[in-house]
Amino acid sequence: MTQGLGPELEHTPGRSYDPTQKPPPFGRQLKQYFALDKEYVNLNHGSYGSLPLPLLQESSKLAFEIERNPTIVAKLIGSDVDEVVFVPNASHAANKVLRNFEWRDGDLVIGPSTTYGQAFNVLKYLSDRSEQPKPTLVSIQYNFPLTDAEIIETFRTQLRQYKREHAGTQFTDVPSLSPGFTADVSARKNKIVAVIDGFTANPGALMPWRELVRICHEEGVWALIDAAHSIGQEPNINLREAQPDFWLSSCHKWFFAKRGCAVLYVPERNQHLMKSSIPTSHEYTGTNFAKQHELPSHTHESALALREWLGGEQTIYDYCHTLALEGAQRLAQVLSTKVMDENGELTVYMPNVQLPLPIEKQPGQVYSPELIAEINALFTRQLLLEWNTYTTHYFHNGAWWCRCSAQVYNELSDFEYLGKALVATCENVVEKLFS
Amino acid sequence: MPTPKHTPGPGETYDPTQPPPPFGHALKQYFAFKNDYINLNHGSYGSLPLPVVWASSQLAYEIESCPDIFHRLQYFEKLNKSRELLAKFVHADTDEVVLVGNATAALNTVLRNFEWREGDVIVLASTTYASAANTTRYLADRSEQPRPTIYTIEYEFPLTHAQVVDLFRSKLREVKQLHSNIQFTDVPPASTGFVDDVTMKKNKILAIVDAITANPGVLMPWQEMVRVAREEGVWTLVDGAHSIGQEPNINLSQARPDFYLSNAHKWLMGKRGCALLYVPQRNQYMIKSSVPTADEYCSPGTKAYEKRGTGFVTQHEYLGGSDVTPFLVIPEVFAFRQWLGGEEAINGYCSKLAVEGGKRLAEVMKTQVLDESGELTLNMPNVQLPLPVEKTPGELYPPELRTKINLFLQSKLLYDWKTYAAHYYHNGGFWCRCSAQVFNEVSDFEYLGRAFNALCQEVEATFLKSK
Repeated sequence: MTQGLGPELEHTPGRSYDPTQKPPPFGRQLKQYFALDKEYVNLNHGSYGSLPLPLLQESSKLAFEIERNPTIVAKLIGSDVDEVVFVPNASHAANKVLRNFEWRDGDLVIGPSTTYGQAFNVLKYLSDRSEQPKPTLVSIQYNFPLTDAEIIETFRTQLRQYKREHAGTQFTDVPSLSPGFTADVSARKNKIVAVIDGFTANPGALMPWRELVRICHEEGVWALIDAAHSIGQEPNINLREAQPDFWLSSCHKWFFAKRGCAVLYVPERNQHLMKSSIPTSHEYTGTNFAKQHELPSHTHESALALREWLGGEQTIYDYCHTLALEGAQRLAQVLSTKVMDENGELTVYMPNVQLPLPIEKQPGQVYSPELIAEINALFTRQLLLEWNTYTTHYFHNGAWWCRCSAQVYNELSDFEYLGKALVATCENVVEKLFS
Repeated sequence: MPTPKHTPGPGETYDPTQPPPPFGHALKQYFAFKNDYINLNHGSYGSLPLPVVWASSQLAYEIESCPDIFHRLQYFEKLNKSRELLAKFVHADTDEVVLVGNATAALNTVLRNFEWREGDVIVLASTTYASAANTTRYLADRSEQPRPTIYTIEYEFPLTHAQVVDLFRSKLREVKQLHSNIQFTDVPPASTGFVDDVTMKKNKILAIVDAITANPGVLMPWQEMVRVAREEGVWTLVDGAHSIGQEPNINLSQARPDFYLSNAHKWLMGKRGCALLYVPQRNQYMIKSSVPTADEYCSPGTKAYEKRGTGFVTQHEYLGGSDVTPFLVIPEVFAFRQWLGGEEAINGYCSKLAVEGGKRLAEVMKTQVLDESGELTLNMPNVQLPLPVEKTPGELYPPELRTKINLFLQSKLLYDWKTYAAHYYHNGGFWCRCSAQVFNEVSDFEYLGRAFNALCQEVEATFLKSK
């Protein structure tokens, strides 16, 4: 008797695809290949990803053979296979790097104000230690909208400012690509580690991270790039060229892999620092980077095959990027507001549009933290339960914004629909909370 | 797309109003093994019943139909239901129990949250699971202070429970004597001499205590060891990875370990990727951050910290994007076990089979069981393999040879004989650790015995020929 391997689906279109046949056009007709509920208008792929149905079907089968395939990902990001390992998610990757550093009294760790909650929190945790050694935590303040040039200037200026403020500390523990690097361990006193968003979350913006990495090299600062949103969205990631000290990304966001997979890149020259995986594993022997992370990711090949079938990265990019920009313009029209990213520099697939709610000039003038939380909760419930749609919504720099996600199954009309929902919801917010 | 309609495959549903088939091979229909595979190693990775596979995949489709509704509006209630069921099972309060991915994650959470100081001591055992031992090693491998010192208690089985407790107590006292200049005044809240005043707390000792060891697979007198540790002012982290669903009557409110963990995806038959971490209220101030650090991290001095302290439960609610289905199918797991007759029926069968099967296996191989008295055995009998025993370590089996032999046995058992039980070197000889589960019968042990006889002959003829 052969055991049933997973559920038998009645024939449903979309649970498999014929790779020899062309895919349907992008937009509404592609939705059948995703597991999203038919009526649900998903403009928030960015938060949790959307798993294509053929991959969900496959991963629900009992997988007796699980393949590891770092080659696919390594190729995509322009790195060597031995510089890439899989970890459960972006938080794990960030924790792995930051918790492996041996912190000393006097070390400085720099996080951006826009860093995703969990990434910033590990920095907080490290500096919250009740006694030494613990790094000092400082942050770079970004108030969007900003252009690339403004972001770069902000970073450089604030970094130098912090170095001046700590002029008494010898920051001689610099990364190996920086001038002044010394192999002599005893000569290395303190270090500065910068966490840089490759892509911020709220707002959803592509950062000029390569330029920031270059500045870090010049300034002798270790650079960890949190690029959770990058793989599958950002074109031409070329880590060999950009040479960050550490880089991470979620495969289960824009790459269509099954939730529970992220990639951590650590170039050869820095692997000696990564003494232990998180958690420490069976295979710990002091430092053997790749061996400690044998976590399989069996949907990568399938995800890649599906994306190839859809036309490949360039085709996906062309569609999603264009829709992101057009959709945002349309949405801003419906809302009678504006897009955050005027010149398009910061937007790949995630446009940010202002919401029609009061703007405050001074922090706290209109919105207390409690009010902000209440408004967010109201948005979540109304959008999901009454309008059957979603986009992330957040308060930034005095104003309210939404961050949409343009995916291969979206169309312009989705943005129009969202606009209707947001108009109604914002009216509700004003009525309930401002009268 | 229209929501897919599924029909369950064979074995994926059961009628709870009808009695289950008798235990033994008739139950195999509810598990996913290939027909000819004889699984005597449930202990390593667990075995997921098909009805739970079904529930998991249904849940996966539900999640994907709208990830935002699920994660933002439905997830927390479902998570709390699972926590409640597991907490009740071990006689703990719901808010003393959180779920993490596996025992190793739980161990790391505790070990990495201690703020280690020069002079601190961690006490392990020779039988401590590799990832736990490695985590302590990693902490001690720091290139500069602060870092704890590690001591290891040698357990060479067979031992009685009384002997284990003696060895444990002796080691704790030995450590204190060796470091008589150190003030081990940072004792757990449950110990006498505990002080609130942080400045009075100098150094601490932490003991990692297995509830059931892995190799060999034996039940330890862990409650007694916890009591001894408490008397000695030593923190206890109890590794009960194999415990829930095998060890009857786990009562944490009574035993009062400082920290406790167990895998739901081993003997409880849960989906791989779910373990419980128990931290009693009195110790939650110590767990400052989940690993990895979460969105809900409470930094001291903030409003959140004022309200919730370290926020042990909220910090562990969401640890980043992951497959949460293992956490959420716990109700289905318990329902299936209820249908089988409940914990007593299940473990009554398994423990009896462990003894009978172990005995039969020893007969077939003409060797002996490790645990003559039965004190150490629940569902996992350990039986000696028919290979020579060495008097001094390395005399016959240098470490590389042990590895070679283990790899050979592993590959042949799995590919040629289509069966498995864990096998390991211990105290001069080679042993196997079997797992008696509800789908096993005595004939499975006989088959395994035939396999080991053949393979061990081959080992002697090849690897040991020159000796």
